[in-house]
Amino acid sequence: MNQYHPFILPFFIGFLAMLVILFVRYALWFRGFSKENRKRIAVGLFTTQTLLAIKEVGAEALLHLKIYRTNPVLGFMHMSLAFGWFLLILGGKLESWYFTGDFTNPVWYAIFLRYFEPDSTHLMYHGVFLFFMELALLMVLVGVALAFTKRLKKSILRIKNTTRHNFGNKMALYALWLIFPLRLLAESVTTAAHGGGGFLTASVGVLIPQSWAVESELYFWWAYSWSLGLFFLALPFSRYLHIPTEMVLIFLRRWKIEPASGFNPDKGLQAFEVHSCPGCGVCLDVCPAINKTEIAFQSAYFVNQVRRGNGYEQTSGMCLNCGQCDEVCPVGINLENLRHQTRSKIFNQASFNHSWMPGSMVFWRETTEVVLFTGCMGRLNPQTTLAVKNLLNEAGVSFIHMDEEESICCGRPMMLAGAAESAKKMMDRNRENILAYHSKVLVTTCPICYKIFKDEYNLEIPVLHHSEYLWQLIDEGKIVREKSALQLAYHDPCDLGRGSSCYEPPRKVIDSVGQLQTLSRQREKSLCCGNNLGSLSLSENERQNITANTLKVLTLDNPDVVVTACPMCKKTLQRQSQVKVTDLAELLWETHPSNSLKFSKKIEKSRFLAEVK
Amino acid sequence: MAGTKFGFFDANVRSINLDVETPETIEGVLHREPSLLKCIGCGNCAAMCTAGHFTDLRFYRLNLYLKRGLVNEIRKEAQNCMLCGKCQLTCPRGVNIRHAILLMSSIRP
Ligand code: SF4
Ligand code: SF4
Ligand code: SF4
Ligand code: SF4
Repeated sequence: MNQYHPFILPFFIGFLAMLVILFVRYALWFRGFSKENRKRIAVGLFTTQTLLAIKEVGAEALLHLKIYRTNPVLGFMHMSLAFGWFLLILGGKLESWYFTGDFTNPVWYAIFLRYFEPDSTHLMYHGVFLFFMELALLMVLVGVALAFTKRLKKSILRIKNTTRHNFGNKMALYALWLIFPLRLLAESVTTAAHGGGGFLTASVGVLIPQSWAVESELYFWWAYSWSLGLFFLALPFSRYLHIPTEMVLIFLRRWKIEPASGFNPDKGLQAFEVHSCPGCGVCLDVCPAINKTEIAFQSAYFVNQVRRGNGYEQTSGMCLNCGQCDEVCPVGINLENLRHQTRSKIFNQASFNHSWMPGSMVFWRETTEVVLFTGCMGRLNPQTTLAVKNLLNEAGVSFIHMDEEESICCGRPMMLAGAAESAKKMMDRNRENILAYHSKVLVTTCPICYKIFKDEYNLEIPVLHHSEYLWQLIDEGKIVREKSALQLAYHDPCDLGRGSSCYEPPRKVIDSVGQLQTLSRQREKSLCCGNNLGSLSLSENERQNITANTLKVLTLDNPDVVVTACPMCKKTLQRQSQVKVTDLAELLWETHPSNSLKFSKKIEKSRFLAEVK
Repeated sequence: MAGTKFGFFDANVRSINLDVETPETIEGVLHREPSLLKCIGCGNCAAMCTAGHFTDLRFYRLNLYLKRGLVNEIRKEAQNCMLCGKCQLTCPRGVNIRHAILLMSSIRP
């Protein structure tokens, strides 16, 4: 039985080259792992985590279930390409094993089996194999057709595609488009020449005259082999590198590898993450700033720029850090961290000195129930602070407002700018100041502070956002309100919702005083107000575009009041809103029986003003 | 050096030499944060600033320093900023103050 023909050489050489290049690249990245991380790999390797990772590879790298869930058409495209191809490889191997009775037959033999064994009618169950293989081929072909139309549609619709294709990408892309149609042709021509074939190749084969088929058969197999070889050769230099890398990343994540600090897209975990992004674009549709800025900076572009090594300087500073893309990225790339590390590189020359920060010299320490921290943005929202204080008094809770006078920033904005060191100093000083009071709980009105207090401060007392604390008071019956007919739309602040998974308490507070509306984008999917401190360089105009869009979503059902739980969101939305925007603490205070008349007048007034406008 | 007398001081005599080109570093900052050119010097940013309560930091002044090329003064004052963003929220002209300060504190002599 002949198992060799020179036409397999382009495929085989390309395939070998890919393996060698991949091995070298991965080895270099692996060398970038810290000692602790290497230890984690060694330990994790022999735990059930490895088995779980294998399962995940099946679900995500082959079936692409996560993409499928967010975007079925896109998911189907990825699934039919990846899973179909996998079935072809697996089926080919099984079939060739069945044919020869020898599992260790050469790689190319299985790939080009139909050329070597055109007629399999003498074998039992050959029809089953044929049907199975051609079904898989059909699946891949549908995937290719979808990918092709996607690209075509993009160029017809003139969608700005800033992902410039370099040579490797182009070669891999064109080769990939050709591989499966060529396989179909080659197999069909062989079927026309020698008979056999399944439902797909036989029906195409009928159209081809036999004499011509016998003559030209080999050309098609050569072409198929070349397309495969070129694809494999280009793969490590193209975005298709994501296919193998994504699988490795799944294992690394299961083994609990920790990200290293610093910007190193060619070392360690960051290298694997950056090269795992297939550019699926799921992060594009959800970004609140999509099509609202002059330059597109979304994660799909950003990660690609980091991989290329240029262009990211500008885009990394624009992102709002709203966390929407982190939430949906099917590969689970830690995009926020990547941005912070990029910024730390860009601004590594920036130096700060906060030796002026006031300390915690307190001569008289009161013991109190609550330490209230309103943060920098709280200073610009005295109304909210006053409302919280009134509510605490109403409930009879003792409290100390620790930053009534000048205060230190919580450090999160500094961290978002990539200056982790300076942020740490500010945090240390703040921690001292907070712990200088003897209190049971720290309550903050600012989600930005809340997130960093909870995630980074390691305080000995619980930290609560004021929505959580107020709900607790309502629940305990210390604050009592009557539910009114007010229509209320709630805006989830990024750092409170996606950032700290606090969705319910604010809703419960709002629901206890009025009718909470359901919005088209809420909870995990809520839009950023447009002024997240994460963005450093978005222009005022661009921010306003984002705010306008967010307001459109919030006010679609004509709410009486737009309620939020963040002083920054409140100020930002307020500037552009026709509807009254307020913090939930203010809402709760203003619906107090003694204020409610005034409150309804206020709403009427803002409605009137909106109409006049 | 300006000498202090009776609570006021004489400023140094300075001249602006229009023959000297704007240093690249300064051009660079203005290029990367063009909104600096929109500042009207209203002073809101300084009124809000906590760091300015304890130190010399006044953002509108940093902006003037920048245009005059007073690199040392910029570095000395900009490093006190906490990047908290209060200034930016009160700025009537939408100047990206936090970005500007990051760029300014990155200037090396
Ligand atoms: S960053 Fe994530 S969501 Fe965005 S293109 Fe890459 S893999 Fe897709
Ligand atoms: S974090 Fe938000 S603003 Fe930034 S790219 Fe992701 S979705 Fe867009
Ligand atoms: S608030 Fe804005 S416009 Fe006013 S001085 Fe400061 S930067 Fe300039
Ligand atoms: S960001 Fe800097 S300049 Fe602006 S208010 Fe905060 S400390 Fe002051």
